[in-house]
Amino acid sequence: MKLLLVSAVSFFGFAGLAQEVAFEEYNLDNDLHVILHQDNTAPIISISVLYHVGSKDEDPKRTGFAHFFEHLLFEGTENIEKGQWDKIVSSNGGSGNATTNEDRTYYYEVFPSNNLELGLWLESERMLHPVINQKGVDTQNEVVKEEKRLRVDNSPYGKFIENIKRNLFKSHPYKETVIGKMADLDAATLDEFIAFQKKFYSPNNAVLVIAGDFEKENAKKLISDYFKDIPKGAEIARNFPKESPITSEINAKAYDSNIQIPATMIAYRTPGLKNRESQVLEMISTYLSDGPSSKLYKKMVDEEKQALQIGAIPVTLEDYGMYIVFALPVGETSLSTLNTSIETEVEKLRSNLISENDYQKLQNKFENEFVNSNSSVEGIASSLAEYYMLYGDTSLINKEIEVYRSITREEIKEVANKYLKPNQRLVLEYLPEQNTAN
Amino acid sequence: MKTTYILFLTLFSVITLQAQVDRTVMPKPGPAPEINLGEPQSFNLNNGLKVLVVENHKLPRVSMQLSIDNPPILEGDKAGTASLAGSLLGLGSKNITKEAFNEEIDFLGARLYFSSQGAYAQSLSKYFSRMMELMADAAINPNFTQEEFDKEKDKLITGLKSEEKVVSSISSRVQRALAYGKNHPYGEFTTEATVNNVTLGDVEEFYREYFVPANAYLIIIGDVNFKEVKTLTETYFTSWTKAVPPSFSYSQSKNVPNTQINFVDMPNAVQSEITVQNIVNLKMKDDDYIASLLANEILGGGSDSRLYSNLREDKGYTYGAYSSIGNDKYGPSRFRASAEVRNMVTDSSVVEMLKELELITTKPVTDEELKNTKALYAGSFIMALEDPETIARYALNVEKENLSKDFYKTFLEKLDKVSKEEVETAAKKYFNVDNARVIVVGKGSDILANLENVEFKGKKLPVLAYSKTADRVETPDYSAALPSDVSAQSVLEKYIEAIGGKSKLEGVNTLAMMAEAEMQGMKLNLNIKKTSSDQLMQDVQMMGNSVSKQVLNGDTGYMVMQGQRKDLEEKELKAIKKESAPFTELQLINDDSVVIEGMELVGDKNTYKLKVGENKSAFYDVETGLKLQEVTVTEMQGQQISSTSNFEDYKEVSGILFPYKIMQTVGPQSFEFIVSEIKVNDGVAPADFE
Repeated sequence: MKLLLVSAVSFFGFAGLAQEVAFEEYNLDNDLHVILHQDNTAPIISISVLYHVGSKDEDPKRTGFAHFFEHLLFEGTENIEKGQWDKIVSSNGGSGNATTNEDRTYYYEVFPSNNLELGLWLESERMLHPVINQKGVDTQNEVVKEEKRLRVDNSPYGKFIENIKRNLFKSHPYKETVIGKMADLDAATLDEFIAFQKKFYSPNNAVLVIAGDFEKENAKKLISDYFKDIPKGAEIARNFPKESPITSEINAKAYDSNIQIPATMIAYRTPGLKNRESQVLEMISTYLSDGPSSKLYKKMVDEEKQALQIGAIPVTLEDYGMYIVFALPVGETSLSTLNTSIETEVEKLRSNLISENDYQKLQNKFENEFVNSNSSVEGIASSLAEYYMLYGDTSLINKEIEVYRSITREEIKEVANKYLKPNQRLVLEYLPEQNTAN
Repeated sequence: MKTTYILFLTLFSVITLQAQVDRTVMPKPGPAPEINLGEPQSFNLNNGLKVLVVENHKLPRVSMQLSIDNPPILEGDKAGTASLAGSLLGLGSKNITKEAFNEEIDFLGARLYFSSQGAYAQSLSKYFSRMMELMADAAINPNFTQEEFDKEKDKLITGLKSEEKVVSSISSRVQRALAYGKNHPYGEFTTEATVNNVTLGDVEEFYREYFVPANAYLIIIGDVNFKEVKTLTETYFTSWTKAVPPSFSYSQSKNVPNTQINFVDMPNAVQSEITVQNIVNLKMKDDDYIASLLANEILGGGSDSRLYSNLREDKGYTYGAYSSIGNDKYGPSRFRASAEVRNMVTDSSVVEMLKELELITTKPVTDEELKNTKALYAGSFIMALEDPETIARYALNVEKENLSKDFYKTFLEKLDKVSKEEVETAAKKYFNVDNARVIVVGKGSDILANLENVEFKGKKLPVLAYSKTADRVETPDYSAALPSDVSAQSVLEKYIEAIGGKSKLEGVNTLAMMAEAEMQGMKLNLNIKKTSSDQLMQDVQMMGNSVSKQVLNGDTGYMVMQGQRKDLEEKELKAIKKESAPFTELQLINDDSVVIEGMELVGDKNTYKLKVGENKSAFYDVETGLKLQEVTVTEMQGQQISSTSNFEDYKEVSGILFPYKIMQTVGPQSFEFIVSEIKVNDGVAPADFE
């Protein structure tokens, strides 16, 4: 339950002409932004709120706060007793969850459409008066620690992201992980949690999305009933330090006691998600490393049998992104052999245009993924929320296809030359931790 | 002027009053929503293919489902033909190679699957035409080759073999055979023998006779235009030859006159699988269909149901207990209530399951149960509607099951209207507690005596024994006394003699063994080295990487699992030391805690069963003296998990017999290790144990 920790959010956008997600958006007087997407094909409704707060907004001495709130805000409100939230959702035929990343925190419920009012009540309660007390903080402190043990400490390769972030970022808060440091959470006082809620969980720092089967006038009235009296919060100023460019290769090592097979991880710092080049890099990632028919997989896993597994994680975030390629060796293959193989393919991208056939296949793939990501009302709701809050343009849900379509083979080559040179990369040797015994 | 003002004020205050929400009260759900299901358009081709089209332009994608609704097919002594036909369809066609076919689908970012009676494809709408062409071509012009046939046949037989020791597979086979009869399409089953009767020609004949358009539906959903679909379907599917599949007559299925226990002995079982079942004649269009779903849901639909609360939460007999009710327009289907339980509570579980069945058929359910169950059912029904495949299934059901056009549209209203009385009536009609078969598959020596004492409604239930292939057999007699001259020691002596004799075995100082197995196409390598001075090294590698390793060197030892190295604790060291000797029997013979527990069948061989450790038993062939099996039982999350090793194909190395084939079974998984090399007093160095 609500343990999803999103550290990478990426959009694939290359939609066919036929797709048109209709939406309407407006502000309440307290500056809560509202987006409505009406679709009566199935009697389902999604109610979600995205708050523009993520791990980068934390006090550097209090890492993990944003994610901690994702847990804390299920503890109950003035009108919902502790422990009742999940029961209310499931006994009304619904389901829900929440996710946090570096930039935002997202909460949602999906119900049969006759429960619109219930969903609005739940989310408005969460925004208006969540109960934040020591008991709840203590409970969730344990839960978050358990989550960290499960997903990071005991999870094979679970520490890769912290090692990559630490090396790619020196001053920007992206250098910290979303889950944060447990010592920071232990040291935090109740007043600090209350202050964090007051600062970031305000209607003017949030977007409410209702998607699915509803009747517009009724929905607008209910939204107003439940949300209009929630007081507006103070403006939030964001002024994060800038990173200076990486000009020579960074070499680093990390050790993990949960693994036996080492991995090589190659990472590049990429531009923020509003930058067109960020989308070009996503196409590059898919071309090189997404799925069994991608270049690196075909070569390193299928043909040369050097790698047991290869993959890539394109991380697109507001201020910067990361492009991470990883590979696990087969048998005695050395990590440097893998690095050479990867660089050979990246080098081809820098010097040659990709083939017409590959270009077309790439676009087919993007289009398919994009279409399928918009197949549920909840999927559409979360896309709408992010396009509005992070990209600053809700209509991208339909228009982003033009961006992807306009990306040329020449541009792919250009961007590879700009961001994916060997002197711009981090090479992380991710190794099994050896015990000293024997 | 003033009046107007006041009036305005009053009006205003009314509006504000209405706008007030009371936050302290949880909002109630509105009336059940109506389902906006796409209304399919349809047309038929001359060859009989019925086409349903649901236009939905929200997303630029299309799904196509081909579904052939033939009456049940009796395969007889060639059972497995249909399954093979399904595997061989969709591997290209007479016009396009398998490789080119797969490559193109990948390029389009699409998916396409076949089964013996249908196909499914999904793609972007702009590739719809090509995808339909590919699907039709593969369906109408399949390229059946001997090479692919042999490959698929091997896969099928391997699958069947691995099922032979799996309690749930045997149980499911016996359940169907007993419910419907072995000469009924639903009761017959595939065996290695029937698969070996099948030829490529049979698959081709099956395809010609049954993969025909007479009862076929093509359902197309998504961003398409009806006219275009019509033109394309006519272009690509008209060449599908018109034919009607042959029909069969087969035995009628009947319930038993009195409730009885049908017992199947599986000596390797550590849990018993209990199924209470009876035949039902239920069709989706029956008036009591929804009431019967609710009755089943309350009895055993999920974790809020009665069976689950009783057997899992209250008694802790099992990890889960559930029930299900089938429906079939062609004939009978089944009601089943089932649970996997610990051996020792098998009889008590049967009693509790029958008790729950009796209760729900004699007393009305509570208002609370009905209300919650309806909410749960409604919620999952509604949520499922988002998936276009659900909509396809519903449109197809309306056609196939001859349902009223608004069956699904009004489903929730009908659900809401079902009364407690209707649920009770449905339970009485479909849960035949007095005419049920209680099928128990489990370890007879542990459970049979107690099963024979199970009473229901004051009378002992008859217990009839069946074989794993659902034939009536003599009730096994486990009290058969051991010959008086047999002891644990004599069994071990005979074994030692059989494999080479005491002096030969004592001359072995080191032993090295290499073996190989395959798991989902990946190679597993097993490497074991042992010495007579408390040294052991066992390493399992997958594709060249070590996945698990254990090392013992005198009084120290460690293990590495998934990369994590851990020194062995005192207790573990003791256990592993016992296993480290090249021939553990040389020690066991002097161990007083080793006792003989009886005789058991391993495969078709009689064996003596010896308890050789706290949780470990070994089985020695009565005739040859060779060790045929070892079983270790461990508990994991409340489940008893047994791991079984079977030893076969003994061959001589340096005058000693070693098994060259070791079947290792853990839970539902089994590996067949084939030994590639055994070295006696050679190939082991001190460094191996560091």
